[in-house]
Amino acid sequence: MKAMSRRGLLALSILSSAAGLSAATAGEVVWWAPNWGEARARELAKKFSDANPGTTIKVEVTVSNGLPERVLTAMRSGSAPDVIEVQHGWVNGYAQGDLILPVDDVLGDKSDFVKAAIDYVSWNGKAWAVPYRIETHGIIYNKDHFKEAGLDPDKQIDTWEGLVTAAKSLSKNGRFGFGITGGGEVGNTIFRSLPFIWMAGGDIVSADLTKAVINQPAAVKAVEFYTNFYKMGLSPKSTLENDGLAVRRLFVAGTVSAYQSGQFDIPAIQKENDKIKIGAMMIPSPDGKSPAAILGGWSYVIPKAAKNPAEARKFVAFLNTVENQGFYTDTFPARISSVKLPRFQDPMLKAFADMLPHGRPVPIHKNWVKIVQAYFDGIQRILLGDQTAQKAMDQAAEEIQVLLK
Amino acid sequence: MHSKAGLANPGLLFVLPALLVLAMLIAYPVAYTGVLSVTNDRGDFVGMSNFAAVLAPRVTTQALWNTLWWVAGSIVCQVTLGVATAILLNQQFTGRALLRSVTLIPWVIPSIVAATTWAWMFHTEFGIINHMLTGVGVLPEPIGWLTRGTTVLPAMIAINVWKLFPFVAIMVLAGLQSIPGELYEAARMDGASYWDEIRHIMLPQIRPVIAAVTLLLVIWALNAITIIYAITKGGPANRTLITPIQIFRLAFENVEFNQAAALSVLFFAVVMVIVFTYIKVVASQPGEVQ
Repeated sequence: MKAMSRRGLLALSILSSAAGLSAATAGEVVWWAPNWGEARARELAKKFSDANPGTTIKVEVTVSNGLPERVLTAMRSGSAPDVIEVQHGWVNGYAQGDLILPVDDVLGDKSDFVKAAIDYVSWNGKAWAVPYRIETHGIIYNKDHFKEAGLDPDKQIDTWEGLVTAAKSLSKNGRFGFGITGGGEVGNTIFRSLPFIWMAGGDIVSADLTKAVINQPAAVKAVEFYTNFYKMGLSPKSTLENDGLAVRRLFVAGTVSAYQSGQFDIPAIQKENDKIKIGAMMIPSPDGKSPAAILGGWSYVIPKAAKNPAEARKFVAFLNTVENQGFYTDTFPARISSVKLPRFQDPMLKAFADMLPHGRPVPIHKNWVKIVQAYFDGIQRILLGDQTAQKAMDQAAEEIQVLLK
Repeated sequence: MHSKAGLANPGLLFVLPALLVLAMLIAYPVAYTGVLSVTNDRGDFVGMSNFAAVLAPRVTTQALWNTLWWVAGSIVCQVTLGVATAILLNQQFTGRALLRSVTLIPWVIPSIVAATTWAWMFHTEFGIINHMLTGVGVLPEPIGWLTRGTTVLPAMIAINVWKLFPFVAIMVLAGLQSIPGELYEAARMDGASYWDEIRHIMLPQIRPVIAAVTLLLVIWALNAITIIYAITKGGPANRTLITPIQIFRLAFENVEFNQAAALSVLFFAVVMVIVFTYIKVVASQPGEVQ
């Protein structure tokens, strides 16, 4: 028994020293890269290590589920890697919390980046991250369903009324014309509904972040427009439990004829059902107004707790070249000169590329997560039939106002 | 036997390491939660303001009501179904051993696996439950089990009952097996029916087991987060939001550790009241809980 416990202690001490080894050693840059780009990340890491003998890049693969919590915990505990890929929207919180290093020197010429991406990562006159991937939603649709419903599958729908009319003609024989989300992670529904509010001239909070304006007429009109797809039976019965992934599955199954998403869905749809003829168009706007979308995407940050900040900078500068930005991104690169690369000239991507200039950052506020939760709860109350759009947004505005203090 | 006090008592030295580990793993986090609840994120003392902040939104009251429904609904059904199953499994019939093992399956399946599977089974479009019910004509059209305000919490409770009734069944079965055969024989001599045996022998004999198991179930249900979080995340529109999920959201989604700590302290107080009341009520009945 004693011998066993001694052996156990020994194993424990070996384990703990091994755990100690996994932290960066001199000349090593630990890079947290998401799983969808793993192969390309390893290729870039090898390229850099070959060109810079003495520095090794250690790729540690992350998954999107629970990533914000994981990153925050690592940075706060002081045992962070040297380079982390995070979503643009998280960067400001880290900067204000004194958790990351400014990277103006690595970023280079700001005018070569899409402005909304730079806005996301700027605070206090400095740039705190290097954006490398940007994307917005467009509308993905089933061309055959359009033909069967007597619609022209190659014609962009320009107005909200046009979208509703098309959804109505598509919704028959157990199909749903336009699938919206109303469940899953809050972000799914924010990404799909907030652009409509912007297009109508409304917002969730005022530009100076002092007043909740979600219950004002323009915003309520957009919320009604969004939720009506479900109320009118144009979005599936399961809408309240559907996130973006569930709607994509319904699209693959042929139950949904059109929905909003990014270009990253296209390869997945083709893989799961290669019979579907996919079309993509810009998101329609109300008559006479411009479209809008949330600009999403990913940036590199260097944590304050990085073990090798100098080498991390060198490595991020390498990742930030025109070629490497263009090579690594899953969607579009954040650098304007990288977008010109042949890879992004695919006609299927045109609608998404056309949406990019309309991409806007979401407001930066310390209570943003709670603010969108209050808004999302309101959307769900409408979908449940508990409240009218006006009543639900009045309640949301009241809850959001408290969070703005 | 007399033991000498102080250093002369070697027993104290032996339990000291265990006590230290307990202090580190239990007392320290509890005390630290208390400290967090009255400070801000820079560590300054802020009095009761965190408590005020978590009590103000109406969602806190809604979550507490949901929690009480969730706990009460789960426990009543788990105990009823568990005891009935135990009585059934205590009978002599072929295949009894197999059935006893099969009954345990829900309990040994990891909660997250069970939750994800049930989420798909309940899905309005793809779910097998709607498929079967509409197939045989019980329902004219699919029901949104997880998207209707009236069915979503009962659906969660049903999953929780399915998950834990085998535990009750096995514990009660152990209790039933320890009842001496003479009691049944004596009852039959007096002309007792099977129903009389259940009412006057089985149930009184297994009351201590049921009391102990129920206490465990209450504590587990009050802490349960996996099933609901994995399926609805507390939605739609907070219909299934229970206080533990609210605490989790505050801490790990909003990164408001201080407010989360304040809500934990309040919830701890509520749980303590429930648990102590339960122990008092059950323990006050002579000979029930030893």
